[in-house]
Amino acid sequence: MTISDRAPALEMRGIRKAFPGVVALDDVDFAVDPGDVHMLLGENGAGKSTLMKILGGAYRKDAGQIRIGGRVVEIESPRAAHALGIRVIYQEFNLVAHLSVAENIFLGSLPTRWGGIVDWRALAIRTSHLLQDLGMTLDPNALVAGLGLAQRQMVEIAKALAPSSAMASADKPDAKILVMDEPSSALTSREVDRLFALVERLASRGVAIVYITHRLDEVFRIGRRITVMRDGRHVTTRAIGEVDVPELVRMMANRDLSEHFPKVRVARGAELLRVEGLTVRGVLSDINLSLHAGEVVGISGVLGAGRTELARAIAGADRFDSGRLFVDGKGARFRGPADAIASGVGLLPEDRKAQGLVPALNVARNIALPHARRMATLGVLPGRCEADLAAPIAEELRVKATPTQPVQLLSGGNQQKVVLGKWLAGASRIFIFDEPTRGIDVGAKVEIYQLMNRLAARGAGIIMISSELPELLGMSDRILVMHRGRIHAEFSSADATEENVLRAALGLASPALSDAALPAGVER
Amino acid sequence: MRAARQFGTLIGLVLLCAALWILTPHFLTLSNLVNIVEQTSINAIVAVGMTFVILSGGIDLSVGSIVALAGVVLGAALQGGQPLPVALILAALTGVACGLANGALISWGRLPPFIVTLGTMSIARGGALLFTEGRPVSGFDASFRAIATGRVGVAPAPVIAMAVVYAAAYFVLARTTFGRYVYAIGGNEEATRLSGVSIRFHKTMIYGVSGLMSACAAVLLTARLNSAQPIAGINYELDAIAATVIGGASLMGGEGTLGGTLVGALIMGVLRNGLNLLGVSSFLQQIVIGGVIVIAVLLDTVLKRKHRT
Repeated sequence: MTISDRAPALEMRGIRKAFPGVVALDDVDFAVDPGDVHMLLGENGAGKSTLMKILGGAYRKDAGQIRIGGRVVEIESPRAAHALGIRVIYQEFNLVAHLSVAENIFLGSLPTRWGGIVDWRALAIRTSHLLQDLGMTLDPNALVAGLGLAQRQMVEIAKALAPSSAMASADKPDAKILVMDEPSSALTSREVDRLFALVERLASRGVAIVYITHRLDEVFRIGRRITVMRDGRHVTTRAIGEVDVPELVRMMANRDLSEHFPKVRVARGAELLRVEGLTVRGVLSDINLSLHAGEVVGISGVLGAGRTELARAIAGADRFDSGRLFVDGKGARFRGPADAIASGVGLLPEDRKAQGLVPALNVARNIALPHARRMATLGVLPGRCEADLAAPIAEELRVKATPTQPVQLLSGGNQQKVVLGKWLAGASRIFIFDEPTRGIDVGAKVEIYQLMNRLAARGAGIIMISSELPELLGMSDRILVMHRGRIHAEFSSADATEENVLRAALGLASPALSDAALPAGVER
Repeated sequence: MRAARQFGTLIGLVLLCAALWILTPHFLTLSNLVNIVEQTSINAIVAVGMTFVILSGGIDLSVGSIVALAGVVLGAALQGGQPLPVALILAALTGVACGLANGALISWGRLPPFIVTLGTMSIARGGALLFTEGRPVSGFDASFRAIATGRVGVAPAPVIAMAVVYAAAYFVLARTTFGRYVYAIGGNEEATRLSGVSIRFHKTMIYGVSGLMSACAAVLLTARLNSAQPIAGINYELDAIAATVIGGASLMGGEGTLGGTLVGALIMGVLRNGLNLLGVSSFLQQIVIGGVIVIAVLLDTVLKRKHRT
């Protein structure tokens, strides 16, 4: 028959995507057949989500070709992707909480009568047909606001698979390609079973499924083929029977260590910070760690492992339910960021634009923001005090901007330096860096590493959260690995390898913690 | 870029004046210009408070009602035989208390500024009506009326008051930590909080400033009318918001200047005066002023969009 019957459902060739300072995807090939359950694997930042956002029309590719059913297409918008039968379920749900399940599922195509009156009966019938067809036991009239995460996930899937109209017309076909980005991360094991049954059913109907996950046990339960990505490149595509867990981990982690880490080790000094039993219900449980002068403690873990939550709890940004903090051996209670800052804690937040900077303010005023009160007399800032404070800092950090430039006009690397400058300008000794080099160019990265060396040499302690394993291995004196809100493993810099850190981050048995290795692919 | 934007508004004001000069000979006389500034002073002072609030990312709909409430408190105190300074302090306390209540509900109650100040708008108005049983309080000493009628050289006292308020507010915004936090909170509240700044305290104070500005305006208005009216200040919030946004402030917060607000208030004053001189009906005036507000913000948005790409 026609070519489209034998062609892959999806074929992406030579896909390239660059963001300012970073190449997110470099010449990536990716293909999925109808009925395939294709596992897309890779560390955080490997490029999986970027690739899927291009497929879903959220990003435009810089170069490359996409074929759907053998036909070359340009996907210019989410709407265009939808019209091509592509459905992407992102990690963040897109549901309207105060509408019912049925209304959410058919939000863009509510059945109507007399040109605009919603036909509630038709909606109810259509919804129950769809839910029955998908084997879901949801109440079509329930409000989404009252549903648990697993049920919301089901609504998202139903929404993605809902026929666009009563007569699925040629220009709006039903789902042919379904992308799920870590759909199981919030689900219990029974809910996961139901999800997998659904995935199997869809695959048997010829839907091509792309499934992104960090849980290797899932890979072997429902995957038919796997593709591994690393550093924005395609590493390999294999049938599931051809690989085992150790090999998979090796492929995800192994890389050419072309980046240079100028790590300078300094003698470990007195304890600066100790965390005992820190717990945030449902997020962090019983975290214990210590940080000494001159030390860089790396924290690894997959998204959602609780790394950022830990950083924010220590820095007084979020409250915690129980646990104690000690600064210089003395108990400390932070009622807010101001207390933490006064104790010498400086937080470089994960998202510098949303949490680190005031975009419309200039460089000097951003750097001086935490220190304005200290410099002022009766609330009045002496003339030029902000510029005088910021100038030497900006110089040390080599911020390529004048002090009076609004930071929103700076590049990512320079913005990050400004956030760093906020804490260098004060008396901070305990630095918490959450993804300090995310989205910045290699030159600025190396400068930040060198700054970390200088800070450690001056007797500061640094907690560095990073999703980039080479950076973590290259710059840390110790590495703590978090998994589901706990510290799952600890490695000295001598013991840490990409492979065992990644294994621990994925929740697999870690030789450093237990003698009896668990069978491959089993969650601890 | 901010400077360029302000410059643009100023050019708008100059062009407007030039057009009116050509259209009507009465426009460009010293007495008329002084008259315009005097007419503008009350809106300009209310707009100072509004600028603080809008810079911080909020909105204050209650300013007009607070003008009325502070005015009747002032009037009642004067009629009750209180010395002028005591009456002025009572009016100021009334305005500040209303503002702080707004701020406290917004910061500690975590309620949207729109809702809180909408409520206060009604409560303060009702309070003023209840307090006076709906009747104006009038008949004051000449010493009080001098606040509106006095002159220093050619400058009427309200214009001097406006100048003092703008100078003080400019100093606060440019040179104090409070001013810095106003911009920072509006620009990025979370980043400001993580910098150790108490958001709640400063937000509360910001609405307190707005209340104080309303009280200042109430003093000028009561002196000008020689009467404190519980229905005074209706629609003042809209004029103040209009002056602030014509002056280039972003309703998202973090961007805007006092100078811009002053120019914005003057544009509205000049427009009203000029349209009156031209004999334009007051109905048509409303349409013209509404159009100017929308066009000013539209130009601003278009220019910003161009700047970013």
